[in-house]
Amino acid sequence: MANPTSNTHESVQSPPDGLSRRSFLRSSAVLASGLAALAASLAPLRHLNDFPTVEQFLQKYYKELTPEEMKKVLRRIEDEVEREYGLRPHLRDLKPMNGVEFVYALNLTRCIGCRKCVHACVAENNQSRNPEIQYIRVLRLPHGSLDMEKAEHNYNPEMVPEKGYFYMPVQCQQCKNPPCVKVCPVHATWQEADGITVIDYNWCIGCRYCAAACPYWARHFNFTKPSIPKERLNLDMAYLGNRPRRQGVMEKCHFCVQRTRVGRYPACVEVCPVGARKFGNILDPESEVSYILCTKRVFVQLKEELGTSPRFFYYFDV
Amino acid sequence: MRQAVRNYLVFLWRCGRLAFSGDWRYYTWMGALSIFCLLGLNAYAKQFANGLIATGMSDEVSWGVYIANFTFLVGVAAAAVMMVIPVYIYNNEELHDLVIFGKLLAVAAILMCLAFVTVDLGRPDRFWHLIPGIGQFNFPASMLSWDVLVLNGYLLLNVHICGYLLYCRYRGRVPGKWFYIPFVFIAIVWAVSIHTVTAFLYVGLGGRPFWNSAIVGPRFLASAFTAGPALIILAMQVVRRVTAFAPAGSAARLRGEVGVEPRPKGRAATLDDLDLLARHLVEMASVPKEFRQSILAGAIVLEAKAGDVLLRQGETENETFIVLKGRVVVRREEGGRFRITRSLGPGEQFGEISALAGTPRTGTAIAEESSLILSLPVDSLRKLMTAPKMNKIIRSRMSERLLITDRALMTLRSIVQVSMLINVFLLVNEVFKEFYSGNLHVASAKYLFVGLYGHHALVPWIWTAIAFNLTAMVLLVLPVSRSLKWLNLTCVLCIVGIWIEKGMGLVIPGFIPTPLGEMVEYSPSLNETLVCFGIWAFGLLCYTVFLRMSVPILQGRLSKTNEGQPEFGVKGAGEQSAA
Repeated sequence: MANPTSNTHESVQSPPDGLSRRSFLRSSAVLASGLAALAASLAPLRHLNDFPTVEQFLQKYYKELTPEEMKKVLRRIEDEVEREYGLRPHLRDLKPMNGVEFVYALNLTRCIGCRKCVHACVAENNQSRNPEIQYIRVLRLPHGSLDMEKAEHNYNPEMVPEKGYFYMPVQCQQCKNPPCVKVCPVHATWQEADGITVIDYNWCIGCRYCAAACPYWARHFNFTKPSIPKERLNLDMAYLGNRPRRQGVMEKCHFCVQRTRVGRYPACVEVCPVGARKFGNILDPESEVSYILCTKRVFVQLKEELGTSPRFFYYFDV
Repeated sequence: MRQAVRNYLVFLWRCGRLAFSGDWRYYTWMGALSIFCLLGLNAYAKQFANGLIATGMSDEVSWGVYIANFTFLVGVAAAAVMMVIPVYIYNNEELHDLVIFGKLLAVAAILMCLAFVTVDLGRPDRFWHLIPGIGQFNFPASMLSWDVLVLNGYLLLNVHICGYLLYCRYRGRVPGKWFYIPFVFIAIVWAVSIHTVTAFLYVGLGGRPFWNSAIVGPRFLASAFTAGPALIILAMQVVRRVTAFAPAGSAARLRGEVGVEPRPKGRAATLDDLDLLARHLVEMASVPKEFRQSILAGAIVLEAKAGDVLLRQGETENETFIVLKGRVVVRREEGGRFRITRSLGPGEQFGEISALAGTPRTGTAIAEESSLILSLPVDSLRKLMTAPKMNKIIRSRMSERLLITDRALMTLRSIVQVSMLINVFLLVNEVFKEFYSGNLHVASAKYLFVGLYGHHALVPWIWTAIAFNLTAMVLLVLPVSRSLKWLNLTCVLCIVGIWIEKGMGLVIPGFIPTPLGEMVEYSPSLNETLVCFGIWAFGLLCYTVFLRMSVPILQGRLSKTNEGQPEFGVKGAGEQSAA
């Protein structure tokens, strides 16, 4: 009695069952091919060359790191550099010195446009060689004009200086009122007590708003992973200075914090063959820059009308 | 409480199922969009792995088409309010049904905006640095932090308003005014703010004279209120066309001509019929018995077979109807085409607006299955509406209908018209200021409009945009754009013209020449273009899904009352594929 009943039951149930099996097979086929297409489209991620580790991902903001945490972070970054370049760097977190405000003065009468500063800067600050990032851009301008639209950026003569031109190197002007700091949505860039505007390379999200805001074209972006030949790596590094950057973050001139905060001159000042570059503490009345700003009759702050109030002054001998 | 959660989950589940079902056109469209999405995702994966070097951007031009599209889409999102304002402030009923579609478009546009900003980030893995409270939020100094707040706030506002109104409609409830009207008004102000803040992103940069102009904000609003409603005019016609399908079964009957056969036979209504109604319309239960008795005078119950015509478009009568049992569709004929504007179940009314106003019927009502229909003389309905609860439910249902009329589209046309005139006027102002004074800050504008030092990549683009905008303006002013064919052409011209003017024409030239006077041009890479297409496809996909869910809810086809029954769309798809 039981058997026939269950048979009938099955035969009644079977058509919808078969239908649902078919539709189940169909929807799983659709789902599987969808997932396969999704996986295929994400395939390039296998070549990810700068994936953050958990520690990197969770690293705190510079100003929130305790001294102990900072020590750990410094050691971790040293390890990372060593793993990548096979050389152990000396990485420090250098703080601003008390009673110091750095100012730069550049003598336009003397500059011969040799670009030695550009290359010394690249070597000192571990800038990417390919793609090329340079903090200093030397403009060649015709006599008598400061109109930058008339500037030649890619001048390449046999010998400098050329007749009828003068040269104006431009780098971060370390503004007192920096537009780049104001626009950063995450406080990844700020002005330190000694007047240097720095970037926390581990905090920058790479939105490039600061690059749009900077009137001096001083901010440069790592559009891909920077490449530095390991024999050229400068192992004397500072956290807010010249440690190697990662893909997708901003960088800029920081007055060589790894040098100037321990009492040395920036690389560009040291290398200048004609002594056009002067650097020092404006709060010290005996310093060279104080002397220049007190005695020279004319000096120029680039784009003064924007109210950025640069700590970078251009002056003339006469 | 648990029941409420369950109901809501069932609602979401049914909506979700709808998103995956439809006819072959729906599958083709969604399939094509998915392919573009995946291509875009693939391109983005490449960019994610190798960095933004995969784009055409450089240190010189550090923002490109991503930010250009972002800027354009913020405008589209903001423009959704241009439909809300006439409805809620001026009580323009014609636009009422479009509000939800406009707001859903805003939601899709904001999702695209967020996607465009994300793909523009060099370190998307560090997005959490932007979250207030967890990261470091530079508020209020950075305009970008304002943008994070206003965009996400606008997204939440619109999701809430749409979600709430649709869920109420699904449950057959009257939306509580306090749950959405305040948000509607906040959203109006908020919409202006999202686009003003986006303009301030540019305006606030003193080092970029091309952007540092007070007129950018007003120009952004004017162009947004041109392109946004233009996009909605086109989208609504697509919705109108696509939702014009007839329900399965009586398709031929509902599409074809109706003859002049007599109305189904009726009998005098009794109190029992009103009890039946009270089962579907809880508000009726609160009406006392003596009151019910008084409206029975002249009331008839029609016993309709599937396909019976209950009222005809164009006729003027003073009879109103309420469905007691079964289902009725309302069909509207426009320009020789039929489309279903509503599907009504038990407890829902039809024919009341024209009867109350004494105007001709705007559609033809046909029984979809054998149904019982209560026919009330308009005076009885008026009397019924003196009961406060009945008044509230009848009034709210009068305004909850899916009617995309040509008149509504014409209202949008006049918004586009005025906005375009203002937009062109502001552009003329800007051009005059740049060129007449002739100071050194004109370099970017010169590069954009006539080329500078032998570089003129943007010149053909901007002149195309100007030609499109001017043609659109002339067409909008002429009566010719009252015909839909010309209006559609005009809308396409507006959208393309403004996309170029605001995207490529505003973002890119701001970077050229660089602040140090160097001329470096920009053109998007193939990979970057694919990412853009992917995001646009993603946005269209979202909008299609939103419409796929909301149209049946607004039509009354997807509601709490038909829970458990086979879904109309799902069933329809199955039948079609079987056939």
